[in-house]
Amino acid sequence: MAPKISKHLIKYIGVRTVIYLATIFSGVTITFFLVKAMPVNAIENILFSITQVGQVYDPEALILLRKTLYEIFGVGGNPLESYVLFLRRVFTFDFGPSIISYPTPARELVFRRLPWTISLLSVSTLISWIVGNLLGVLAGYLRDRKFAKVLEAVAITLYPMPYYIMALILLIFFAVIIPIFPLGGGISVIVESLTLEVILNMIWHSLLPALSLILIGALGWSFLSSRTLTLETLTEDYISYAEVRGLPGNHVLRRYILRNILVPQMTVLGLGLGGIFSGALLTEVLFAYPGVGGLLYYAIFSGDLNTLMAVVFTAMIAVATATYLLDLLYPLIDPRVRYR
Amino acid sequence: MSKAKYLGIIKKAYNATRNIYVSKIKFRMGFTLLIVILLLGFVVSFFAPMNTRTWYTVPKDLPPSTEHLLGTSTMGRDVFWELCASIRNSMIIALMTALIASHVGLFIGLVAGIRGGILDRILMFMTDTFIIIPGLPLLIVVLTVLKQWMTLPLLGALISIVSWPWPARQVRAMVLSLRERTFIYTAMLSGMGMVKVLLREIMPYLLGWHLINFTNTIIFAIGMETGLGILGLSILGDNTLGVMIYWALNQFFALFRGILWWIAAPIAASTFIFVAFYLTSMGLSEYLHPRVR
Repeated sequence: MAPKISKHLIKYIGVRTVIYLATIFSGVTITFFLVKAMPVNAIENILFSITQVGQVYDPEALILLRKTLYEIFGVGGNPLESYVLFLRRVFTFDFGPSIISYPTPARELVFRRLPWTISLLSVSTLISWIVGNLLGVLAGYLRDRKFAKVLEAVAITLYPMPYYIMALILLIFFAVIIPIFPLGGGISVIVESLTLEVILNMIWHSLLPALSLILIGALGWSFLSSRTLTLETLTEDYISYAEVRGLPGNHVLRRYILRNILVPQMTVLGLGLGGIFSGALLTEVLFAYPGVGGLLYYAIFSGDLNTLMAVVFTAMIAVATATYLLDLLYPLIDPRVRYR
Repeated sequence: MSKAKYLGIIKKAYNATRNIYVSKIKFRMGFTLLIVILLLGFVVSFFAPMNTRTWYTVPKDLPPSTEHLLGTSTMGRDVFWELCASIRNSMIIALMTALIASHVGLFIGLVAGIRGGILDRILMFMTDTFIIIPGLPLLIVVLTVLKQWMTLPLLGALISIVSWPWPARQVRAMVLSLRERTFIYTAMLSGMGMVKVLLREIMPYLLGWHLINFTNTIIFAIGMETGLGILGLSILGDNTLGVMIYWALNQFFALFRGILWWIAAPIAASTFIFVAFYLTSMGLSEYLHPRVR
């Protein structure tokens, strides 16, 4: 049996990898052609608005910026050639020097801030997914209880709301009206070494942004979809059979319902990652959190297209990669998939 | 179509709406809120006593009072009238997106589902690609370049680029399952053309879903516009909910300075819009698929 399974495994991983690369490739291509299809000379226009604002730039930086932008957007020259140049730029992740802190490469600015974003995002996504699904299953299983109905009403209000609107609401309530949390920033002490105080301060600052992501993530789609799935599973014959056999409710809940719900929920998590990532970018802007989202806002604000492109393509690659990793993990959770 | 037929359709739609309104509490709450929002945006906003786009028409930073219902902003605008105009413009953007995205999605899903084969594969690969590309970053690049030329319908059209793929996938799945039903075979074997089968036999099953999807796309578009607004990428020369937040939050720091009535107004309005449309769509889907409840 063993060699057969590993052959399937290789094939499964191979197919996923091809899809993964094709997705990034076509995403990048679509962006290129969208910008290319625009009826204006975007680059000169951007350069003009930069110089017009009167922000002081190194003239050398401007020349380099123009060169990079012309290559990235493929203005002038024949389309095929510029497309190849563009692809080379993207896949070597070389977006030229940043303008906001010339001559640091745009790439480096992104990499410096990426750990902040990844830690905020991964922790809050994980917590919200677990809490949301558990609450959803409980509310579905005990649907006649008062708390289930209250939770449902809350979820219906939160579900259609984007992450950043929730962030604004939390900011108004918990940083302005009742000022118990800081209005923004990532840290408010001087970092010399990573002591306990520093870490606590970092957590303190990321609590409100994380809360806004968790509230919407957990009580929004995680809760509602797992509740609906539980209600559907409850009508299955094997549940009735388990109950007739006299299995304790706890056992039915854990082994019969939860296990069956995890699989579709995992898929939804993979598909929802794009939305979570975009939402988190804006949440970072609102809380002045020192992650990639803050950099993105700064780049847009000062017309730094090199950094902007670096952030945008990082976002695309990050989402595609996360989905890819989830796909690879999928057979571990659902024995029925087994590397087909 | 004759006049009588039009009247018949209107009467049917009215009766259906009344039925849902009476029987579904979620729909009743959502629909009432929706009417209030639409009235504010498309009726009340035209009675604004001043131009809501010019600065310093009223004294600035006044808290809410009987004269200025929601106070005034640092830019010297009356927040209430600005909000009404913003609701109208945001709704125009969202309606544009919903009109384009839901119909493109419906069309692509139908074609892929009915024709099958290689066409289906190509269309679905495109759809999957668009699903995985994070929409916001894509829009950010496009809008950074196109900012000066932006108009309300154009922004709506651009947002629809990232909101058609989900409907397309779902329509295809529904068509695939419908295609295997007996009554479709009966229709096809009795010599009905493909187009006729589509319009007469399949469309009636999709119309209810289409309406729900339309409502959800509006929610998505309003959210997207607000998000782009926060980044300063919406139409800064006009009033929309996103632009209102942008000026209050990023340019005049209303949060730090405690001018809460200015920043809270667009946030509350967008929250009401989300809840109103979502309750409406939930009520509709409960009415159309009673089994799901």
